[in-house]
Amino acid sequence: MTTYAKVKQTLVSLEGAKSTMETLEQITQKAEAAQSLRYNAQKLDVVINRLKKRVQKMEFEEPNYKGF
Amino acid sequence: MPDWLQIIIRSIVFLLLVLVLTRVLGRKVASRMTYFDIVFAMTIGVIAAAISLNLVPIVIGSIALLTWGLLGIGLSFLSLKSKWVRDFIHGREAVVMKDGKIMEDQLMKLRYSPEDLLQQLRSKQIFSVSDVEFAVMESNGEINALLKTNRQPITPKDVGIEVSPSTGVQTVILDGTIMDEALTTMGLNRGWLHTELDKIGVSVDNVFIAQIDTLGDLYLDLFDDVIQIPQASTRQLLLTTLEKAKADCESFSLETNDTTAKQMYQQCAEDLTLIIYDLKPMLK
Repeated sequence: MTTYAKVKQTLVSLEGAKSTMETLEQITQKAEAAQSLRYNAQKLDVVINRLKKRVQKMEFEEPNYKGF
Repeated sequence: MPDWLQIIIRSIVFLLLVLVLTRVLGRKVASRMTYFDIVFAMTIGVIAAAISLNLVPIVIGSIALLTWGLLGIGLSFLSLKSKWVRDFIHGREAVVMKDGKIMEDQLMKLRYSPEDLLQQLRSKQIFSVSDVEFAVMESNGEINALLKTNRQPITPKDVGIEVSPSTGVQTVILDGTIMDEALTTMGLNRGWLHTELDKIGVSVDNVFIAQIDTLGDLYLDLFDDVIQIPQASTRQLLLTTLEKAKADCESFSLETNDTTAKQMYQQCAEDLTLIIYDLKPMLK
């Protein structure tokens, strides 16, 4: 597995985690829990965006990786 | 009318009367009754028994019963309204141990022997007087003790562990029937429940009890105890995903030679650590 594929995998699993957090935020009855989930989902979004940029850069540097 | 029939009729009438009286007098659990409550209840019982056994004339007995009953109702009303009456009738709580020392004069005043005190403490799982910092005798004679700080059980707060806010649990399936009201309270519907059950692979008929907590985690107990239900929940999965991503970012930062990328991965790992720290109490 190339580094590119690994980074992309991490990126996708984090995106999944973020949507799980958003689902939990909808389900939960506690205002504090919902707030904490929302806040942390936003923080996670920053991380996801950074990884996304990294993936784009890798694709730019090694165009043959694209699509994997 | 034969004697036996008379007694039966009287008994039934006074049983009903006493039933009404006790209902009106409010519902106190026997263990929470004060001395006065007990004496009162016994008197009413004895009068009713005497009437139904024909020991006293029915009119005189009824007058006594009604007087006691009405007085009782009046007093219980008064004691609700006034602190002074309440203290006078039921007595007030008394401090029997202070700063770890037994107040002997207080015990004497309450006619409480040291054995009684020890027995009461033992019934609260306290076997050594030295463990007690402070003890109060309530008006019903029960003793409540506060342990010394170093003898109190450890709470999450003492250890500095954060725990998730207590989760109100709703029972959504009982005996194979879906409880729509509980589902609605949680803001969910039958569609959601069916999806969750399908994910696990059981049918509603096979579920004896199903409960959900505030984060929508389903606990199931099946009629068929042979079936093993997968226990991994969304929450645990989320936590593991985050932890794995954090480890990944750390290893990426070691693998790459690009310094900006290295820093970026490290930053990501740190952010993820913070997120995990924040969510862990909730997701555990």
